Amino acid sequence: MRDTITRARPRTISQNTSRPQLIKTAITTALVLFTLFGLPELLSLYYIDTMTQVAVYSMVTLALGVLVGRVGLVSLGQVAVLAIGAWVAARLLFATTQPYPVILLEAGLITMVAGMVTGLPALRLRGLYLALITLMLAGGITVVLATVNFPNGGHGFLGYNGSLVHIPPIRRPGIAGSDPAYFRYAVIVAIVMFALVYAHIKTRPGRAWAAIRQSEPAALAAGINVTLYKLWALALASFITGVAGGVLAGAVHYLYSIGFPTQDSITLLAVTLMGGVYSMWGAVVAALLYQFLPALLNNWGVSADWLIILFGLGVLQVLTTAPAGLADQVPRDLARLGRRLSKRKTT
Amino acid sequence: MPPWSDFEPFIVSGLALGGVYALSGVGLVVLYRATGVLYLAFGAVGAMGALVAWSLINKAGTPGWVGWLACIAVAAALTFGYGLIFGPALARRDPLVKAVATIGLTLILYGAMDLLWTTSGGQARSLALPTDNGGFAIAQIQVTWTQVIALAAGVVITVATGMFLRYTKLGTAMRAMANDREITATLGVPVRKVEAAAWLGCGVLAGIAGLLLADLVALDATTLTFLVISSLAAVLIARLRSIAVTFAAAIVVGLLHDLLTPVTSLTNYRDMTPFVLAAAALLVMPRRRVMTQSREEA
Repeated sequence: MRDTITRARPRTISQNTSRPQLIKTAITTALVLFTLFGLPELLSLYYIDTMTQVAVYSMVTLALGVLVGRVGLVSLGQVAVLAIGAWVAARLLFATTQPYPVILLEAGLITMVAGMVTGLPALRLRGLYLALITLMLAGGITVVLATVNFPNGGHGFLGYNGSLVHIPPIRRPGIAGSDPAYFRYAVIVAIVMFALVYAHIKTRPGRAWAAIRQSEPAALAAGINVTLYKLWALALASFITGVAGGVLAGAVHYLYSIGFPTQDSITLLAVTLMGGVYSMWGAVVAALLYQFLPALLNNWGVSADWLIILFGLGVLQVLTTAPAGLADQVPRDLARLGRRLSKRKTT
Repeated sequence: MPPWSDFEPFIVSGLALGGVYALSGVGLVVLYRATGVLYLAFGAVGAMGALVAWSLINKAGTPGWVGWLACIAVAAALTFGYGLIFGPALARRDPLVKAVATIGLTLILYGAMDLLWTTSGGQARSLALPTDNGGFAIAQIQVTWTQVIALAAGVVITVATGMFLRYTKLGTAMRAMANDREITATLGVPVRKVEAAAWLGCGVLAGIAGLLLADLVALDATTLTFLVISSLAAVLIARLRSIAVTFAAAIVVGLLHDLLTPVTSLTNYRDMTPFVLAAAALLVMPRRRVMTQSREEA
């Protein structure tokens, strides 16, 4: 009897942390501290801007990773969701003097509602159809954005000033005006979002999502409200992507609709799969692939087209041989290599 | 609302565009039914073929027909090659995984095209067919032979594919595979060969579509690669099943898109036509709700 009680309380299990778990936590903490305090001192302004983008896109790939890896919903329209978040944040930043975190929260919530309203009917579909309808919806949103444009301090509901003179930049929070400070700000927001996802994965929704991913009929038979938890995942992903859009608005100062083409959603899915959708590190790897590598190649004078080709090869490789992505494959291969080397030494 | 005469030229161009979407859509449906792969690289291989044709005609100076044949050959070879390598490797996976894998091919081709035929120089390429110049007039609307060919190709391919699936042995085998790959294999159908034939046929159609769209719309890697989304809309309306519905939906998508052009309040939104039609069709249409673990319902 006592046994069943302890088993029913997962906290007692997690309190008994094992050594690898401790090492993992220590490494994560060290990396986070280094990113916050060491990295801005070491990098040039060019790379600080790039790393801010990495922080923004790690949230987007994190959200997409939750959908694809945890629940098994493939979305081909995440860049359109990001654009909605950026649009809402920019509109609110021009219209009000609210503090930045409030704006981010509002952008996330409004994007969440938008994502749920469009997503609820789409959730009737499954698998391939759901992926294609997100592509269609994203295409539609891109066309609307091209006509509506991003707010740039103009009047009216859309806030667009067509004459394109005296365009004020989108403001940043008072405490993070400079680029290094804004980088830290973006990283902290990203950490909050990662913590939010971690809290979900470790509790009831995470277990429900895992059941749904394994088999929807089995989850239904186990008494899991499949529609509720799918919608929950969609809401969480839209919220995080909306917040990322808000951070993006402040990072770039000016937003243009050509910055959010439909094909970027496809590339984004490719890097998310490459990074790995079953671990949260995969989101960071994916964001580095998506934003840091192009900046690096640009600095070296190599065409970014090579990267697109690499992403294409990466998708094929991940789908045929390594379903858990680079975040899983590289450490495992390194460990295997290490074992092999140490074996050779002893013999 | 503009006068009717403003709409007239767009009926012709819309029907031509719809014809190409129809032949693309039929290629996509047949491949999906036979192999379970929704071929998202359909536009990219067509674009690759069209750009190779452009290089042959404008840089190497070959006669036009060599370029056009090369366009179809490149698209067919790429599709066939992909099918041979990744078809069997992913045969037992979910249709979603198979479709996402073709996104990999799309990205490879897209990157290669941008690298080899760079667009940053500002020079716009075009691939004109000799049939652009001739033509005739119906009730004062100019119709070029290319537009006639585009619509005719859509009709002919749809009818021919329908007959092929119904009356030939290979077509029957493809229909059997659409129902159940394992049982078909048990009955002695050479599954791999039938799949290879479907890949080749789809590749040839991708080449033809690439050639016609390069002439009718624009010779541009991005445009041609993502025009597949319009055919995809037609395919989705047909639920990846019926080629007759695919044809009708493709014509409606092409026609409606072009007919919105003269309407000033909607002209900016006309590119949304395929998305809106497909989304509405998918969300409104009733569907069977069968839950099976082994197979995704079509």
